[in-house]
Amino acid sequence: MADPARIKPETSYENKDSPSQDQSNQEVKSETAAGEDEEEGTSGEPSSKRLKVEPEKKKEKRQKVDEDEIQKMQVLVSSFSEEQLNRYEMYRRSAFPKAAIKRLIQSITGSSVSQNVVIAMSGISKVFAGEIVEEALDVCEKWGDTPPLQPKHMREAVRRLKTRDQIPNTKFKKITFH
Amino acid sequence: MADEEDETGFDEELDDGSGGVECGHGKRKRLFSKELRCMMYGFGDDQNPYTESVDILEDLVIEFVTEMTHKAMSIGRQGRVQVEDIVFLIRKDPRKFARVKDLLTMNEELKRARKAFDEANYGS
Repeated sequence: MADPARIKPETSYENKDSPSQDQSNQEVKSETAAGEDEEEGTSGEPSSKRLKVEPEKKKEKRQKVDEDEIQKMQVLVSSFSEEQLNRYEMYRRSAFPKAAIKRLIQSITGSSVSQNVVIAMSGISKVFAGEIVEEALDVCEKWGDTPPLQPKHMREAVRRLKTRDQIPNTKFKKITFH
Repeated sequence: MADEEDETGFDEELDDGSGGVECGHGKRKRLFSKELRCMMYGFGDDQNPYTESVDILEDLVIEFVTEMTHKAMSIGRQGRVQVEDIVFLIRKDPRKFARVKDLLTMNEELKRARKAFDEANYGS
């Protein structure tokens, strides 16, 4: 079950030099997308690099690719069945409560953290959860079971991700050579 | 549905590796149960995921946040968590990196838009 947003980040969302120009445009685009936290967009390069060396042609090409991507997404979403629409809506809208994340981080640091930190942490936590669920679904399918996912799928998924170093673990030291 | 032999005694049997830590966490109140259920459905699971799976995922997410926080505290400005630290830690993971960049950019744009909107209202 591939999610449509799991596309290679080949386009950048902020493709204008002065974002305020296109602000209202992008504003409408982002607020019509479901959810306050889940905005559409992919970006694979740091913004500083982009602004520094940006020949006009490349910018135009990337704008076009971005528009193509948006159009393709619209075509895709318009052809969803009701169940798929439900699932897509849940995918976009679900998010971790900022208050709980903030409380969690602050209980660890002991000092307050900025809002951006909470936003960033919630975002990557959601990606993290997604990676686990997707891996678990792969395991489930491979073992010939059906959803709903069972704990054994989750645990196997975690084991696999650990071997790929996608799960941070600073509790146990790695021994490289015996 | 719940015929798997794995289900019995699951509550006692905890994750490998982080088993010791999860014993304590199990007693804590569930922070993200509702949101995680929606999230799991969104990512491809059944509309009603098993509670045990949701619990496992919640423990994993909390552990992830804890690890990231600890790492972020140890780099850059010690003892504090800043966005730059998070971005640095994530740099190797393309998905998460792109996501953080997007979210922060969007946030900036929304802030600018709201400010412009408020000023427009105030002016008129």
